[in-house]
Amino acid sequence: MSYKPQLTGSWWLKHRFFKAYMLREATVIPLAFLLCSLLAGAFSLQDPERFQHWQAFMSNPLVILVHTLALTTSLYHAATFFVLFPRVMPIRVGNYQLPARYLVLAQWGAVWLVVALFIWLFAFGGQS
Amino acid sequence: MRSIQVLRYLPEESPQPFLQSFQVPVTDSTSVLDALNYIKESLDPTLSFRWSCRMAICGSCGVMVNGIPKLGCKDFLRNYPNDLIIEPLAHLPVERDLVVNMDSFLRHLEAVKPYLIEGKNAADSSQPNRQTPAQMARYQQFANCINCGLCYAACPQFGLNPEFTGPAAIALAHRYNLDSRDSGKAQRMAPLNSKNGVWSCTFVGFCSEVCPKGVDPAAAVNQGKVESAKSMLIQLFSGRAIGGAGQ
Ligand code: SF4
Ligand code: FES
Repeated sequence: MSYKPQLTGSWWLKHRFFKAYMLREATVIPLAFLLCSLLAGAFSLQDPERFQHWQAFMSNPLVILVHTLALTTSLYHAATFFVLFPRVMPIRVGNYQLPARYLVLAQWGAVWLVVALFIWLFAFGGQS
Repeated sequence: MRSIQVLRYLPEESPQPFLQSFQVPVTDSTSVLDALNYIKESLDPTLSFRWSCRMAICGSCGVMVNGIPKLGCKDFLRNYPNDLIIEPLAHLPVERDLVVNMDSFLRHLEAVKPYLIEGKNAADSSQPNRQTPAQMARYQQFANCINCGLCYAACPQFGLNPEFTGPAAIALAHRYNLDSRDSGKAQRMAPLNSKNGVWSCTFVGFCSEVCPKGVDPAAAVNQGKVESAKSMLIQLFSGRAIGGAGQ
């Protein structure tokens, strides 16, 4: 005769560690919205009138708010992912184990490289 | 003296578990296990719980302390100045008081064949099977597991699906897969590739937080995903059926 408590749907509210995990997983929601917006933008290119509608949609303050949220939550997701990465793929050179913090730094370095590339493309039109 | 609460379960007296308060003496070095032993010796001899080494090596004293899986002998009352509630390990059937049924945990451990399997990497068995310190360093962290089961009590995926192979068993499989003397990786990949294997993990990561031996089972499980992806690709291209799907 034994009993076994069942896990309820609110299990993740019991500890801050689980809440942080759920937050990490929830970052996909604003990101999905951003992707849908971009996809709609791509389709609206076929027709000038629709493109104007899309531009109006994109400048709606509420939409801008969700997109800013998508950026910040994606950065949070990236931060959690970058820390996990060296644990999933430890890099070993011969007998030397590369310290995790170098891998984390290298990943942020790659992010800044991409950001710099976009700034260069948009601000200077690709010309220096 | 201070008061602590213990979740009791005495099936012959009541079908429901209930909380009971006890007054126990405390010093700076009173562990949760010391408190339980005091209760059993001086207050209520019917209290049931497991322990043996009282030095974090046998892995038998796991309990939930204020909802977090802990080794009773490695956790101290001084860490809990306010309330302190001791409950049986989560996600496992409770037999009596703090005694849980570990059968499903043991079954998962067995399923991954946690021992050296002879084959092309094993030396002739009449010879010593040598290993360099560098070869040992590759798996040593995962060999520190004491099978306490705290990681299973921390894992919501195991709580939702008891068929999930789970952190410690996958860490142990990974430990033998990384061992230069072992040749059993192909056999172990079958349960790891299955739907209750590594892919049931969503990297919540709490298992590694609660592990009292620094094993980092979450890292092992997710390194196992990389290995599983590799082994499934190899099987796909070599045209063989994917082994172990559904075991
Ligand atoms: S991995 Fe850690 S928490 Fe899990 S059984 Fe082994 S020692 Fe215990
Ligand atoms: S009594 Fe052995 S680990 Fe706690």
